Amino acid sequence: MSPRENGSVGKPNASPRSPSGVAAGEGRSREDAFIQKVDICCTVYDFADRGKDSPEKERKRQVLMSLVDSIGAAEEPLTEAMMSACVHMFRVNLFRVFPPKVRSATVGASETEEDEPFFDPSWYHLQVVYELLLRFVTSPFVDPKVARKYVDSSFVSKLLDLFDSDDPRERDCLKTVLHRIYGKFMGNRPFIRKAVSNIFYRFVSEADHHNGIAELLEVFGSVISGFAKPLKEEHKLFLWKALIPLHKPKTVGVYLPQLTYCITQFIEKEPKLAGTVIRGLLKYWPVTNSQKEMMFLGELEEVLELIDMAEFQKCMVPLFRRIANCLNSSHFQVAERALFLWNNEHLFDMISQNRQVIVPLVYPALERNARLHWNQSVLNVTMNVRKMFFDMDERLLLACQSNFQVEEEKRAATEERRRLTWEQLERNADAFQPANTSFPAAPSSAPPVVPTVT
Amino acid sequence: MATVDEPLYPIAVLIDELKNEDIQLRLNSIRRLSTIARALGEERTRKELIPFLSENNDDEDEVLLAMAEELGVFIPYVGGVEHAHVLLPPLETLSTVEETCVRDKAVESLCRIGAQMKENDIVDFFIPVVKRLASGEWFTARVSSCGLFHIAYPSATDPLKTELRTIYGQLCQDDMPMVRRAAASNLGKFAATIEQSHLKTEIMSIFDDLTQDDQDSVRLLAVEGCAALGKLLEPQDCVAHILPVIVNFSQDKSWRVRYMVANQLYELCEAVGPEPTRADLVPAYVRLLRDNEAEVRIAAAGKVTKFCRILSPQLAVQHILPCVKELSSDSSQHVRSALASVIMGMAPVLGKDATIEQLLPIFLSLLKDEFPDVRLNIISKLDQVNQVIGIDLLSQSLLPAIVELAEDRHWRVRLAIIEYIPLLASQLGVGFFDDKLGALCMQWLEDKVYSIREAAANNLKRLAEEFGPEWAMQHIIPQVLEKINNPHYLYRMTILQAISLLAPVMGAEITCQKLLPVVINSSKDRVPNIKFNVAKVLQSLVPILDQSVVEKTVKPCLVELSEDPDVDVRYYANQALQACDQIMMSS
Repeated sequence: MSPRENGSVGKPNASPRSPSGVAAGEGRSREDAFIQKVDICCTVYDFADRGKDSPEKERKRQVLMSLVDSIGAAEEPLTEAMMSACVHMFRVNLFRVFPPKVRSATVGASETEEDEPFFDPSWYHLQVVYELLLRFVTSPFVDPKVARKYVDSSFVSKLLDLFDSDDPRERDCLKTVLHRIYGKFMGNRPFIRKAVSNIFYRFVSEADHHNGIAELLEVFGSVISGFAKPLKEEHKLFLWKALIPLHKPKTVGVYLPQLTYCITQFIEKEPKLAGTVIRGLLKYWPVTNSQKEMMFLGELEEVLELIDMAEFQKCMVPLFRRIANCLNSSHFQVAERALFLWNNEHLFDMISQNRQVIVPLVYPALERNARLHWNQSVLNVTMNVRKMFFDMDERLLLACQSNFQVEEEKRAATEERRRLTWEQLERNADAFQPANTSFPAAPSSAPPVVPTVT
Repeated sequence: MATVDEPLYPIAVLIDELKNEDIQLRLNSIRRLSTIARALGEERTRKELIPFLSENNDDEDEVLLAMAEELGVFIPYVGGVEHAHVLLPPLETLSTVEETCVRDKAVESLCRIGAQMKENDIVDFFIPVVKRLASGEWFTARVSSCGLFHIAYPSATDPLKTELRTIYGQLCQDDMPMVRRAAASNLGKFAATIEQSHLKTEIMSIFDDLTQDDQDSVRLLAVEGCAALGKLLEPQDCVAHILPVIVNFSQDKSWRVRYMVANQLYELCEAVGPEPTRADLVPAYVRLLRDNEAEVRIAAAGKVTKFCRILSPQLAVQHILPCVKELSSDSSQHVRSALASVIMGMAPVLGKDATIEQLLPIFLSLLKDEFPDVRLNIISKLDQVNQVIGIDLLSQSLLPAIVELAEDRHWRVRLAIIEYIPLLASQLGVGFFDDKLGALCMQWLEDKVYSIREAAANNLKRLAEEFGPEWAMQHIIPQVLEKINNPHYLYRMTILQAISLLAPVMGAEITCQKLLPVVINSSKDRVPNIKFNVAKVLQSLVPILDQSVVEKTVKPCLVELSEDPDVDVRYYANQALQACDQIMMSS
């Protein structure tokens, strides 16, 4: 349906009684004047062509500004007709389909081009419409119970679609607006949470592009900090199913600070979740992307800051296996970042209390670094960490050292034995083959592979 | 771990390997699942291995992906088709995991197995899996279920069929857009298995719902279904049900949807037949060709030839050609480029007169386009016009375009034009070529970019093949050999490369008289890189040359190089000497 044709729907409804206490005649004229102005703003102009309709464009902007003022200066509640007209006007102006990404103009440029932010030419109007929307959702004279009829799921859902805008200014406005709507319209909260989860699911599982993940997460940072304790199951599910998988996309760097903030909010509410988060990080740990790996190490450290001993002990084995891998990274920044984890006091404390488990896990990695790592600085820090362990528990370190040597010596033998085992298995498998002679023929006795269409 | 002398318990080996912390080892053992199965025998595979796998799917996604793939071809190892159903439980679990790749692979394997299962096994085992997944709590299960209906449906009993259709209808209205998208994209496949009577009623109403979805992304996938469904329906039903939808979509407010329509439209025309095409689809297509959004025009322009092929020439001239004219001066070069890549194909459709009168001016203007891509696309399809109007009409405009592209500042453009030179040569003929293009071909041998020099050498070989050794003796060889004195060693190297490419085409005599002396001479070059390339080239010449020449000229030269102070030169010289000996021995 075309929103523009519905432009006048608000008017026939404009007759219902205005709120009690206001003289009918006076309220009516205020209402009519307001709605008339709003209707003027329902005409959408083409900004791709700069010169076109410029007097009309200017007039609309003036009217928009005066509406901003009149909502700001309102001294009595907006009538339902006024609200309906406003929301309709927001829909007509804001809800649009974004144009495709501009293709680069020349062959040469495409190779070096970075994603430049795109600035919507119609921002001249949009900005004021957003300003008005913000005034509208924050005004004490807009009764959420009445406005809820218009600021409904479909409105919110379209608003969320706009977060994909290329224009950072628009996303910034949307962030504030969404936050206010979430605050004011309690009835919309479950829907907003669900719809935002859907955006995240799609972004992660259909490998889609989305411009507004950072902004959505920023809104959710404050939403989460407002969750009541103890956390509801639904909210924990959001952490596990929507937030943690956001670590997977390769563009995670764009929104990682906001994501980390959301996640630490959860842990502060319920420290037990730290273990869940760490297992999630390990699940999505990057294998080939060193840039991402450093970000993960950064976030890991933040989470470990908040973890308590019981949770730490539950996940330390897989965790330090992963860290040991990072220590050996041939990307020196990854290795360094991992080595610096020992500078964290809280972490160091927990490590030393669990050294009987952790040191044997990381010692081989330190030893391999000391022998083979190409980077001088990694080498130096490795030595420091090893020294630290030595000072912590000399006997343990010596035990690890001798164990490492034994393992090294055994390694070739272990590999050889693995090879022999598989070889023997292969022979056994061949020996069994006579019993299975039917199987090469089996497919032919099967029904046709593709079911025929009836 | 078991020592080698002890009897092996295959499952124990697997369990042991899957516990290893090195993911590569875990992957390796999953890749050898069939070995373990064979060692176990069919029965124990069914009773021990498969249940073990069903319970142990907590591994990393990469391992799970491998497992999903292996299980898809596991029927022989569990005892053939009658036991295939034991493979369903582990795959069912895998099709509910978080990671999309794993789920997709699991669904693919389920389909592969289901396609082989007996009808009553489908009813007893496969359909329950589909139903469970479709009612799964988490969306991943429901998404996976959508890809299984087309396997389950044909074997189902009537009541079950009704149920399956109902369930699919519900999936199309699922709460989660992810599920609706999966349902929309699998609708065509599922519909292909459904009886006509239901197709017209239930499936069409499901389809209608999808086409009105408030999510762009769902509507988009419904468009894709249009052509597939259109082909399944009788033409009159297609006209009644699909045509209005597609006409509607062609005016959708989302450019992505219109873009999809532009891509699919001609397929739909095939499905509805010529009459409705003329009445409804031509106007829709014309609208898309004139769309506001360049992306849509790009897609539409790219289909112009295919579309014209299903129209009568009159209609094409009357409705499409005016748009083509507009598009040839479109403000977006990508639109012009898309048009240029297909427009040549219109010539055979329109016939000679219309082509000369109407298309030729468009070709010519595109040939002068300011963007190299556009010009290249025209030149690359030149043979198609040539068949209709002959090259004479074109050659005058062609040459300036070629010369300009040959000197384009982007080396990829130069590379592309070199690759078309043999085609041009065959179209233009020797005479035209000698006058105008010969010099260009030589000039590329001294390009600043290696890839161009390499392509230039290759091009000379192809020209020699096209016009024959005699022509090459006159027009290529002397010019090439002259360049061996270039002061820069990289250019000298190109010449050596050209020689080794030309030699097989020119034959033994010319190689021996003209080419070989130049190569031998270069073995005295001061640059080691040239010297070891001489060794390589000599090695490549040995099969062409006479045995006596090899003995007298090639070998002494190589022996000398094999004593060179430079290690690489010695290495390649020795390689070449060995090759000489081998060839001599075998002949």
